[in-house]
Amino acid sequence: MDLTSFAGPFLPEIVLLAGVLLVYLLDVLKLRSNELVGSIAVAATGFALLFVVADLGFTPFALLRTLPASSVDPTFSGGYPLYAFTSLGLVFQAIFLLATCLVSLASLSRPREERGAPIFYGLLLLATLGMLLVAVAADLIFLLLAIEVTSLATYLLVGYTRRDSRSLEAAMKMYIIGALSTTLSFFGASLLYGAYGTTNLYAIRAIGILNTGAGAGSYPVLVLLGYGFLIVGLAFKATLVPFHAWAVDVYDGAPTDVTAFLAGGSKKMGLFAFFLVLLAPILFVRTVASGSPFTTTQVALGPVLQITLAVLAVLTMTVGNVLALLQKEMKRMLAYSSISQAGYMLIGITVGTAPALAGATLQIFAHVFMKGGAFLLVAGVSAWGIGPLIDDWKGLGTRRPLAGVAFALMLLSMAGVPLTVGFVSKFVLFSAAVQAQGYFVWLAIAGLLNSALSVFYYARVLRVMFFEQAAPNPLPAGTVVGGSEPPILPAGGFGYGRAAAIGLVVIVIVAVGVYPQMVLGAVQSAAQHFVNFGA
Amino acid sequence: MTAFVVVGLAGTRLKRLEWGGWVAVGFAGAALIVGVLVAAGAMLDPGRYTNVQYTWFQLPPSPGTFPNGFELVVGTLVDPISALMLLVVTVVGFLVMLYSIEYMHHDRGLPRYYAELSLFLAAMTGLVISNNLFEFFLFWELVGLCSYFLIGFYYEKPSASSAAKEAFLVTRVGDVMFLLGIFLYFYNYRFAGPAGSGGWAANGFVFVNGSQPFLAGTMGGNSTLLTVAGIMILGGAAGKSAQFPLHVWLPDAMEGPTTVSALIHAATMVAAGVYLLAVTSLFLGFTATDQLLIVAIGGITTFFAATMAVVHPDIKRVIAYSTISQLGYMVLAVGAGFAMVGLFHLFTHAFFKALLFLSAGAVIHAVGTQDLFKMGGLRKTMKITATAFAIGGLALAGIPPFAGFWSKDDILGSVYAQLGAHPAYWPFFILAVAGVFLTAYYIFRAWFLAFSGDRPRDPTLPHAHDPTWRMTVPLVTLSALAVGAGFLIFWPNFQGLLLNGAGVAGIPPTYGTTDLLLSAMSVLLGGAGIALAWYLWGNGKVFVLPESSAVQPVRKLLLNRYYMKAGYDWIGAKGVYSIARAADFFDQFVIDGTVHGFERMFAAFSDRLRRIQSGVVSDYAAYVVGGLIAVFVLLLFVAPYLVAKVGGG
Repeated sequence: MDLTSFAGPFLPEIVLLAGVLLVYLLDVLKLRSNELVGSIAVAATGFALLFVVADLGFTPFALLRTLPASSVDPTFSGGYPLYAFTSLGLVFQAIFLLATCLVSLASLSRPREERGAPIFYGLLLLATLGMLLVAVAADLIFLLLAIEVTSLATYLLVGYTRRDSRSLEAAMKMYIIGALSTTLSFFGASLLYGAYGTTNLYAIRAIGILNTGAGAGSYPVLVLLGYGFLIVGLAFKATLVPFHAWAVDVYDGAPTDVTAFLAGGSKKMGLFAFFLVLLAPILFVRTVASGSPFTTTQVALGPVLQITLAVLAVLTMTVGNVLALLQKEMKRMLAYSSISQAGYMLIGITVGTAPALAGATLQIFAHVFMKGGAFLLVAGVSAWGIGPLIDDWKGLGTRRPLAGVAFALMLLSMAGVPLTVGFVSKFVLFSAAVQAQGYFVWLAIAGLLNSALSVFYYARVLRVMFFEQAAPNPLPAGTVVGGSEPPILPAGGFGYGRAAAIGLVVIVIVAVGVYPQMVLGAVQSAAQHFVNFGA
Repeated sequence: MTAFVVVGLAGTRLKRLEWGGWVAVGFAGAALIVGVLVAAGAMLDPGRYTNVQYTWFQLPPSPGTFPNGFELVVGTLVDPISALMLLVVTVVGFLVMLYSIEYMHHDRGLPRYYAELSLFLAAMTGLVISNNLFEFFLFWELVGLCSYFLIGFYYEKPSASSAAKEAFLVTRVGDVMFLLGIFLYFYNYRFAGPAGSGGWAANGFVFVNGSQPFLAGTMGGNSTLLTVAGIMILGGAAGKSAQFPLHVWLPDAMEGPTTVSALIHAATMVAAGVYLLAVTSLFLGFTATDQLLIVAIGGITTFFAATMAVVHPDIKRVIAYSTISQLGYMVLAVGAGFAMVGLFHLFTHAFFKALLFLSAGAVIHAVGTQDLFKMGGLRKTMKITATAFAIGGLALAGIPPFAGFWSKDDILGSVYAQLGAHPAYWPFFILAVAGVFLTAYYIFRAWFLAFSGDRPRDPTLPHAHDPTWRMTVPLVTLSALAVGAGFLIFWPNFQGLLLNGAGVAGIPPTYGTTDLLLSAMSVLLGGAGIALAWYLWGNGKVFVLPESSAVQPVRKLLLNRYYMKAGYDWIGAKGVYSIARAADFFDQFVIDGTVHGFERMFAAFSDRLRRIQSGVVSDYAAYVVGGLIAVFVLLLFVAPYLVAKVGGG
């Protein structure tokens, strides 16, 4: 393999790495201004995004470059590689890069006096680099290591402010639970290696899972244990109940821009890892179930995994929604809402068909914008002196109509109101579950009921923002009563970077909601490609 | 055509201006020009269908549910049928806007009025040019919403806001049925479609495929299901077009401004139900059971609404009942398989009914009351209005050569020709014919009461005079249309259209075979009705039914609208209110209780709560391990058991 044919497909990663190096070089040169370092991060993610979009074959960008044919070879004629470029992997690369791009764009408006810009952007880019590698992983070890790259970077990101004890505590918690789950994941991978003799995901797919080799009877337990550990290990990343407890504290304690990155970016990586790891066993059994020699009397692996995932999915969305309903703080409410959204997304891999994967991918795409945007907006609003409680947002819709409307749009999209991207993604996802029939229909119904439940707490925020008056400033004793004006918000907006990021979010929410076909078509064909790839 | 909708919407944005009314008129005028041009284009070349659409989103095929995939489109369709409706909407819409300038100038809240009216016009045009059922439904809801707003325009009046609510609720019953109907059709046709088209669902429920009428009779399906779907569509149409038994809201909707009554509750929105039936009948087809049911609803409504109009003292409500009754004729025609004949009556009716409403509005504007028994002798001071009302009345009564004659005669003739094949239509045909007599009687009773005689019966009425040109121009224009619109039937293109519509539903085109005897009879009946009205009420007379008369109970029954409204109110008060109370109880005790219960539960275990979510990392690790054990229990024991039991996904 010569260098160019190796480097070609990894151009986006290389761009990011160059960005990281440049940022740290500037740090050494004492050029640490937020704007400068931030623009490097934005530029790096932007370039990488352009390359990924070109890889996906969107015509305006296709001239830019095309992937070498060898890197998308689904026949694996030259043996199983560590990485493989599937269309869905590229879609996820694009999603990750979009999330990072939004966060770094918004962070351009961080207060000037806040320090640590190079650390922040460098870690952000490193975490994104790990995520891009996850998206193209073809081997379990490669996948888990790539996840580790991201994890290490995010632990540091959560605690980078150093002086804030809350964020330090959050970082510590995340690190301990993260280390535990990494151990579990690797243990699971080793068990799978024991069962299959390989850790390559596509090789596993190709192997007859249940009856290859001698002593077929001993395989299922080992395989089940292996997948069980992997599910638990990855569930930490994807914030599935009951492995979610860290997420709320961390989302709450971390600097809000970092929270936006965690909810919009790194969590999605965990979900895509689920896709990668579990599609093979689920799909494999599904495809052989109709009259091939694999339908033995032994436990069918796919359905067992599916039922387990279905339970996790329903548990996650229900617990997330119910607890979100009870929250009084905006960030914790959004955190729980984000957990419940992970439950919806898990439906995609549980069902395991191409339309369902497409629906889940679209839901993830939507969530990057809705939830990432919401956290970015929360970060901006707190700079105006709005407190952490939902009640502190009283009257914001009338005092700052632009921010109010943008936030309302994000909430409406999360609730799945038509003409927003959230509606389209839920529609595609749930209808795919219904199409798959069987008990998946109940999954869709559980999802619908949960969406209905979630409307309550979104609507509560809307009511607070638009229909309630802000409490007047507490008057000093002895003043004449009559000054019932709400406190004046500090002048000025979010700053250009944050305003641009939020504007972009709003545009995407509405544009894809009104005209979803372009994104939907790309995601659908990518999901189909992913399902067929290497099979 | 999309630009057309945009024009309407842009209109709604500009209403804050001082000259908002004129701006709205301008936009309505622009819409009129575009509408007439487009409609003329479509009508001059009957073979032409302009279908513009783009895909909103689509799902790939899946073997079980959508073998051909599923697609939702947004599009506009201009064919002769929608052109006819377009003409009605834009012409009446423009004239009513113009009329509003003077009629409404004393009222407050005019920006709201013009904004809502413009929004209504935009939505209504959107509705008639929708090319698929989902889009149709969307606009359908939008016009319903505008209607709700406009009925409640005088929201300070309790009767107005309660009428608005009533209209909203009653039509909602129909809307829910309509939506169910769409789903049933979708369920039934998801596999099927005309050859090569990939299925109805795959094509986004579009009405037309090229110039071919879609689906009619060519596709199979479960006939029971189709019948139920048809009944649901009928329910939707009955709600919107105020058909029995969902007619109660329309007379009360007269609480809105008269202009609104003319535009929305006479000419356009209420006709949307008929349009829906016609479109469904043309492109989907009804089963024989559905047809009989539709004919029955149409016939019954025609007669019953007419009887209620006979006794009412309020000039607007007489016309409102008349609208219900006339819509019944259209429904009757559609049910008998003559969708286009029904639409022809819709076309002529829109003009003469708007004319009647606007003349009534001129009277109300001049004398300040709606009570017929206080008016009288207005003929002398309001010459134009009196003539206009008379022309509208003659058209309504079906006296040749006025527009109503041609279309009503067509309906009766067409249904008559079907009686041989469908004897079950007989009773409803007789009701419809009897309706002709009643129609002529009640409308001329109203005319004589208001206009004949020497002076108003209530001497305190202000001195009345004809309005200015802003109100008379619409009156004169509509009068001309009420005289002339019926002659359209002599235009070969239009005849072809009528034939085409009849032929589609699989029924021999019979509209042309109007029975001369039948025509003569209906004209005679109309004449008799007018004569009776003159005999009882003419020349300022007031016919007082003796208290001892045997007919007195009938009059009471009619005045009380057969007690249906009271019955609904009773059901509403007892039934719905209890449901509402139950829901309130549920809300207060179950939902709030659950939420508070959770809170209390958490509060009670606040120590543990703090431990759960506020920090101790070893606990989180314990959850992970606990979760791990739970996952293994699931994976190793529960799931295999379930898979063995059910057979897996």
